[in-house]
Amino acid sequence: MSAKEKFTSLSPAEFFKRNPELAGFPNPARALYQTVRELVENSLDATDVHGILPNIKIVIDLIDESRQIYKVNVTDNGIGIPPHEVPNAFGKVLYSSKYVNRQTRGMYGLGVKAAVLYSQMHQDRPVEIETSPINSKRIYSFKLKIDINKNEPIIVERKSMTNNNGFHGTSVSIYIPGDWSKAKPRIYEYIRRTYIITPYAEFIFKDPEGNVTYYPRLTNKIPKPPQEVKPHPYGVDREEVKIMINNLKKDYTVKEFLINEFQSIGETTAEKLLDLSGLKENKKVKSLSEEEITKLVEALKKYEDFRAPSADSLSVIGEDLIELGLKKIFNPEFVAAVSRKPKAYQGHPFIVEAGIAYGGSIPVSEEPIVLRYANKIPLIYDEKSDVIWKVVEEIDWKRYGIESDQYQMVIMVHLCSTKIPYKSAGKESIAEVEDIEKEIKNTLMEVARKLKQYLSEKKKEEEAKKKLLTYLKYVPEVSRSFAVFLSNGSKELILKYQSEIEDELFRIISKKLNLADIEEYRKMYKVDSE
Amino acid sequence: MSSELTSKVDKEARKRAAAVLRDKFLNLIEQLKKGEPLIMEIPMRTLSNAIYDEKRKLLLLGEKKLKRNFLDLNEARRFMQTVLMASIIYDALVNDEYPTIRDLYYRGKHSLVLKSIDGKIISSENTWDEQKESDGVIVDIEVFTSLLREEMLILSKEKGKVVGNLRIRSGNDIIDLSKTGHGAYAIEPTPDLIDFIDVDAEFVLVVEKDAVFQQLHRAGFWKKYKSILITSAGQPDRATRRFVRRLNEELKLPIYILTDADPYGWYIFSVFRIGSISLSYESERLATPDAKFLGVSMSDIFGNAKKKPYLSDIERKNYIIKAKEADIKRAEEIKNYEWFKTKAWQEEINTFLQKKAKLEIEAMASKGLKFLAFQYIPEKISNKDYIS
Repeated sequence: MSAKEKFTSLSPAEFFKRNPELAGFPNPARALYQTVRELVENSLDATDVHGILPNIKIVIDLIDESRQIYKVNVTDNGIGIPPHEVPNAFGKVLYSSKYVNRQTRGMYGLGVKAAVLYSQMHQDRPVEIETSPINSKRIYSFKLKIDINKNEPIIVERKSMTNNNGFHGTSVSIYIPGDWSKAKPRIYEYIRRTYIITPYAEFIFKDPEGNVTYYPRLTNKIPKPPQEVKPHPYGVDREEVKIMINNLKKDYTVKEFLINEFQSIGETTAEKLLDLSGLKENKKVKSLSEEEITKLVEALKKYEDFRAPSADSLSVIGEDLIELGLKKIFNPEFVAAVSRKPKAYQGHPFIVEAGIAYGGSIPVSEEPIVLRYANKIPLIYDEKSDVIWKVVEEIDWKRYGIESDQYQMVIMVHLCSTKIPYKSAGKESIAEVEDIEKEIKNTLMEVARKLKQYLSEKKKEEEAKKKLLTYLKYVPEVSRSFAVFLSNGSKELILKYQSEIEDELFRIISKKLNLADIEEYRKMYKVDSE
Repeated sequence: MSSELTSKVDKEARKRAAAVLRDKFLNLIEQLKKGEPLIMEIPMRTLSNAIYDEKRKLLLLGEKKLKRNFLDLNEARRFMQTVLMASIIYDALVNDEYPTIRDLYYRGKHSLVLKSIDGKIISSENTWDEQKESDGVIVDIEVFTSLLREEMLILSKEKGKVVGNLRIRSGNDIIDLSKTGHGAYAIEPTPDLIDFIDVDAEFVLVVEKDAVFQQLHRAGFWKKYKSILITSAGQPDRATRRFVRRLNEELKLPIYILTDADPYGWYIFSVFRIGSISLSYESERLATPDAKFLGVSMSDIFGNAKKKPYLSDIERKNYIIKAKEADIKRAEEIKNYEWFKTKAWQEEINTFLQKKAKLEIEAMASKGLKFLAFQYIPEKISNKDYIS
């Protein structure tokens, strides 16, 4: 179940302190939203990926009214963090357990540290962490800051206590200047949308006004977690290959390096690649010059016969859970979902899933409600610049049976990939990558065809019902009139035969209209002769 | 009604009609029970399905049938109406009643109100709205069952009248049609239930106009010329047509018909003679292929190579009426009917279209009742100056 965690140190932090907007912290409202998001996503990654049904508690308190400082606390029941990793995990930028090749919610090894940086830029309370790994006998608590110049954690306080209740998980509190009134709708929307795509999670949210919202778990089914896979040769660039070589613990030859560190490369392919690059197979990979690395990477790009990247690293929600989430939240008249087969772009596997909810309690609006998701996280901001929105707009919904200009429709699209092509580090919109755009379109058209079929059947049934009403009106009169010929003037016999003939008539009507539940309709109406 | 009050022929007719009607509709119920489509096959009553039988000189109903399927939404209402009307007629037959078509209209007229179970009205409609609608349904049943309304003991308003040297039995009474005073015997709606007892007449004269009938009656026309005098009072009803047909067929009396000189008069003649388009299904029983059009003809007004006109220039100027647009249109229609495509009729119609003039029989009477009764009519009969 539990994927092996690898920790890798990358490069310094000063840059992000100077450019907080790139990480999603341009102003207090957005910062509050972004902090909640980073913490919730870390919590989800610490739970469902490891087969744990998530219980997540989110509490936002206003602790300094004059300076509008909020305390954001998120507690989960996840796998916890080993105590020796805690300082780097929160205090060293681009240090991440997620810098591996599988689908995760966070990607840049930045998220929560950007919040910590933002926090200490604007006030002096350190970030507070309490954590206890699974089966740990102690609960560890830390207060940390970041030494921005050195990109090192500063441990302000470190304690531990006995874990008496078998608790595992992590609770993080970050103090930041925020703007609750502006962030409020987005934060609520974020939690709601997260809940839609994570119907197996339970959320409790207490906002600064003291309102508590409970989002109960809708199912115990957790999607299959992603497996960690080696990178695909098409998916790496020069810098990444350098990092891979730097991190090697073994003294591989180039050939060993290719075979052991990439997917889709065996003996034969490795030899061909060496040929292509002009490198010697027994050359130690750590001794490659810059120029030789360039040659190797060029060979990786040039070679055409690699298998498509493995999709084991991806984890979809699945059609069932998509339908469940949409059904529970929107109470629609119809819901359908499609989860497609894996595809690849630039060496990165990806899968597109989509759901449509139609009618029912969905509010009517000028545009369909579009729910965008990437690797199970909802994208809230920058909706119109997202490729998903572009595709939704391009589709001619009239062709799929949506006749009115007013929509009563929710469209949900989930892109999972080992590398989501975000437009920025704020992770709010997906860039227009051709292969992905095409696949999103195909997925939406496939699920829209299901809607079309439903609508056309519904239309047929409505027409049949309209016809039925005409028959319904005449059946008693026709039956009674026929009964006159059978009953020799007896009033009782007329009633008896009338009801027999009515049954016969409804039998041929139901056959003609193809209405199985005709008896239900019979019960709904009556005809008075006046 | 007790047995003494009704006649035997009535009762038998009633039994026979009830049985035919019942069989026809029980058959439909059988269809339904066998899971076959619920369809009434009814011969079509349209001009395209009214076929002129050249040999028998009859306007007959063709082979075309309409399928009235209850499951066809366009037919469902009419299907309901047909079964409803049939059940009312059947009920009247077995209960010794004599409904008129207006009675049938009222008996069947009610609203069908479709309601949801909580009482909300979804739609409401009448079984039929105007009598025209229920009358049409009666005709459908006649065609469907091959039973005429008379046979189903449905009464209609008596329109035709008869006087002359003829004794008949109607019901339990014997009636002498020469002893009706200034009045006349109204031809009953069920002329098939009449028995002819004895007759002393040489021909039958049918006049379109009731007033002219009365004038001829009072003038003693039928006595002087040993004839039977009949009026249809306009378009002939079925009873009058059937009665005339029986006089011709059973008593072998020639039939002369006197109408206005206009397209409507011609059509009245053709209804007597070969049947009507709308009732072509009963031509076989109602039409009199032997009937002759005595007048008033165009040659009576204008004369021709062989004969002098009956009217002087001044009379003609005073009596003829200028034909209206509708008259011309109707004449052109009639000219195209198969059964008017004889030399004599085409001449008659062409003269009309050319002169654009029409004339009422009353004009001949204005010239003098004696002229009409004792000169014009007898002269035309003896000269065989008529169109068949």
